[in-house]
Amino acid sequence: MTYSTHLARRYRRLLAFFPKTFRREHEQELLSVLMAGAAEGQRRPRFAESFDLLRNASFMRLRRIQLPSSWEYRHARVMVPVRIATGIWLLVLTAILYGSGHGGWWGALLLPSAALHFYLVYRVTHTVTS
Amino acid sequence: MGQEEETFLILTALAGGSQHGYGIITDVEQISKRRVRLRAGTLYAALDRLRADGLIDVDREEVVDNRLRRYYRLTPTGEKRLSEEADRLRSHAHVATSRLDVSGGLATT
Repeated sequence: MTYSTHLARRYRRLLAFFPKTFRREHEQELLSVLMAGAAEGQRRPRFAESFDLLRNASFMRLRRIQLPSSWEYRHARVMVPVRIATGIWLLVLTAILYGSGHGGWWGALLLPSAALHFYLVYRVTHTVTS
Repeated sequence: MGQEEETFLILTALAGGSQHGYGIITDVEQISKRRVRLRAGTLYAALDRLRADGLIDVDREEVVDNRLRRYYRLTPTGEKRLSEEADRLRSHAHVATSRLDVSGGLATT
């Protein structure tokens, strides 16, 4: 089952973009089909053929990205009050620091942190979960 | 050509008996009167999906000229799905033709 030709090597390089599980299952036969469809003396993959391989490989990879697990959803929801409390505490801390004249650059760290906590609360409470 | 039509043509190709990858490509070309030529990447993405959905399965494997040939066949679920899909398309086509006949008739009078 080895193809040593230049064309097969080029095809293999394209097939490397597919997910590993798909490759284990289909790489050999896919290569057979590609070689069977190649013209006599063809040295490089046709553009449309290459484009089709890359397109399908990327679709397949996108489809395999996992959604957060139910545990992660639950954890995110439990964290909502904690995040609100932390966000408020960070704002209070900022106010205290600036009020006593020790603010300096702390605001640049504390305010974005507080904003991030509130943003995460917003995302979790406004995401429709199944 | 949409994914739905690709799927329909692949299942139709396998309805005549088990076939290997390149066989499916040439058969689909014939069924579609040379309008559809499946590309290898698209074909195997579809075969992978159809097999995961239980519509097709591997029939047997052969090695010809040092090349692996895996033959696929329709499962009973696949046959059922193809037959339902064919019925659906037939009924749509029937409505389309009969409406065109009616409006064609009106246009001439």
